Amino acid sequence: MWYKNPNLRLVSIFFLLFPFLSGCWDAQEIEQRATVLAIGIDQASKKEENNQSEGGITHINKNSSEPKEDLIKVTAQIAVPGRIPLGPTQGQSSHNSVLIVQVVGHTIQDAMLNLQQQVAYEIFLGHLRIIVLNEKVAKKGTQRFNDFLRRNPEIRRTASLAVSKEPAAEYMKLIPELQRIPSLYLADMVDNLSALGRFPPSFIGLFWTILSSKGQDPYLPYLTIKDKKSIQLSGLAYFKGDRMAGKTLPLEIGFFMAVRGIGGGGYSAFIKVPGKEEFVLVKAISRKTKVNVNLIGGKPHVDIKVRYESEIEEKTSPTQYINNSSIVRKIESEASKEVTKSIKKLIAKTQRAESDIFGFGERVRAEYPNYWSEKIKTKERWKEVYKDLTYDVHVDSRIHRVGMKAK
Amino acid sequence: MDELREITVVQASAILISTIIGVGVLPLPLFAVRGGETSAPVVTLGAIVLAAIGLFILTILGIRHPQKTIITYGEDIVGKWIGKLCSMIVIIFFVILSALAAREFGEVVVSAVLRETPLEITVIVMLVIAGLSVRYNVNTFAYIHNFYVPAILAPILIIVVFSLKNANPIYLRPIFESNFKLMFTGMLTIAALFQGSFIVTMVIPFMKEPRKAIKASFWGIFISGGFYLLIVIATVAVFGTEEIKQIFWPTLELARTTALPGNILQRLDVIFLAVWVTAVFTTLFSSYYFTIYSIKQMAKLKDHRMLSFFILPFVFFLAMLPQNILQLYDVIQIAGRAGLLITIGYPAILLVIDLFRSRRGKKNVVQES
Repeated sequence: MWYKNPNLRLVSIFFLLFPFLSGCWDAQEIEQRATVLAIGIDQASKKEENNQSEGGITHINKNSSEPKEDLIKVTAQIAVPGRIPLGPTQGQSSHNSVLIVQVVGHTIQDAMLNLQQQVAYEIFLGHLRIIVLNEKVAKKGTQRFNDFLRRNPEIRRTASLAVSKEPAAEYMKLIPELQRIPSLYLADMVDNLSALGRFPPSFIGLFWTILSSKGQDPYLPYLTIKDKKSIQLSGLAYFKGDRMAGKTLPLEIGFFMAVRGIGGGGYSAFIKVPGKEEFVLVKAISRKTKVNVNLIGGKPHVDIKVRYESEIEEKTSPTQYINNSSIVRKIESEASKEVTKSIKKLIAKTQRAESDIFGFGERVRAEYPNYWSEKIKTKERWKEVYKDLTYDVHVDSRIHRVGMKAK
Repeated sequence: MDELREITVVQASAILISTIIGVGVLPLPLFAVRGGETSAPVVTLGAIVLAAIGLFILTILGIRHPQKTIITYGEDIVGKWIGKLCSMIVIIFFVILSALAAREFGEVVVSAVLRETPLEITVIVMLVIAGLSVRYNVNTFAYIHNFYVPAILAPILIIVVFSLKNANPIYLRPIFESNFKLMFTGMLTIAALFQGSFIVTMVIPFMKEPRKAIKASFWGIFISGGFYLLIVIATVAVFGTEEIKQIFWPTLELARTTALPGNILQRLDVIFLAVWVTAVFTTLFSSYYFTIYSIKQMAKLKDHRMLSFFILPFVFFLAMLPQNILQLYDVIQIAGRAGLLITIGYPAILLVIDLFRSRRGKKNVVQES
């Protein structure tokens, strides 16, 4: 028989292996992809719409098929293939490692389609690290962006989301000196700060989770640009539902983390030494938080207990001695008083904005399900209740370390 | 049938585990949350108990008839024609089940991973692999399952453990919701995800010691149910109930949100999808094997091999019927719940009749002596 011939067999095997050489039929070269690293979203002006000749891409008829949403201006950072250095290389900073493209659109995907019309390669969002929302856009509501971001499988749930004071486009154009790829610096900014205890964990998936749940409101990092070239985390943007309602001071982020029960401390605060005009800088190392919710007279009441473990980092004057435990104790009680005051202030601030970033509502829902299903049920109703929520704050500050100096 | 009796207890449990854990793990938390809000774990637990009852009924029947499967002893118990009719329904149901599993697989692949590959290709590839594997005997079937079980279980466990970093236990409370009607529907839907365990009836006749089948069933349902419960608890604790309602495949999202410490892998969905393809394969393999093997037994054929590619086009055709993913999930939920009548109800009736008969049989024997 023919198949007994070893040579023929070899030849037939050879031909059988042919189809496997074709590789992936829908393969795409990395260089042939427009990898979007960061997106900045701003409000678009009417002038920009006309300039960019928006329209005709996703909608033709101005009256019947144009969505009513406000126009947004999307600034995208696209990685230029081959210019992104891998590993340490010497030489000048590569200013052109990214391409910056600006488009307008009614929604993100609309803008992305308009963007695609300008870029030859297929847009790839799998490496999108950060989305910067301008304050004005955030104040008008973020819900309209979430739909696309949830639906698209390329978007990472771990991407960061941040609110900016300046137009988001400026963040895209900014060239930080510390990192070769601007958007990675921006993303690291948000990620690493939460590792340092300067910001609670914040990524887009978490933002959605909090936004969806009925008894809490989301928060995002609030960024500003200093001296036109460096980015600063200048607070926490708190939301009422999907709309940004206001921002805190950077130090208040620490108090927020204390109430929210995020353990790692990172903020330091000046505490006045009782009886003197001197200050010591006290750093929170870790916190332990206990939040209890009770129903008092048919209304929820929150009881917050925070225990701080801190250390003294610095004192302001040479005439002030920290050399015995009684002075430390005084500083402890002063710190507790100060923190209590500040936490109360922060809660009152969010109450005015009806923004329950602390998630007290979730606790009420979890612990008093009957009360919740009878009296509250919806997110909107909880906001009304939150507005007049009563609370107690107890702070217990402990200073365990004073550093290597004896005086 | 008594040519080969080589399947051990471990292999039998492995078959059950890898059959049960299948395409259903992806929408599982969504079904659970739709049914029970924060009491999703309770709903899942109820479903596991329900599925376990069904499985034990089948196992007891199997032990009472250690040489036969439900197709053959069904005929003995309720009579030839009614038995044949019921077997027919069981077979058709498993054809549908295979088709739906293949389609759901294709749907996930098309919308989450290979977005440019046509749906038909992914479905056909999966079916052909199953069709090819079905051509071997039951022992090979057992080996394949046994081989894949660790590969399915370990990564799921890893994902669940690392995802707990983002968990917030408050989302799991209150443990009991009061809407019992919804909870019950949810329970049925989830119990339907365990329907693969029907395969046990085909495995028992090949076990070395059929008496130990009860042990295999217990471990099978215990481990797979445990994993299901873990997945539900982890996803609800990470996402909260409201967010889960927004996504089709919360388990996949869980893998996407979870990173290995030290940024070794920033998202685990790659691992998860690789595992999940295996899990889907083993599930499809079992349900298709059961279909083919049962047709063989019903038609009293000598060999099941030639049926494998003969039935394939029908399965493919059925898989292509639903118009879109929303319709697909409607069909899956309805078919699943209705299927419980077949996979739990029918064996229960058989067992009752069987017990009744044997009791009468014994009485007759006593009277005669």
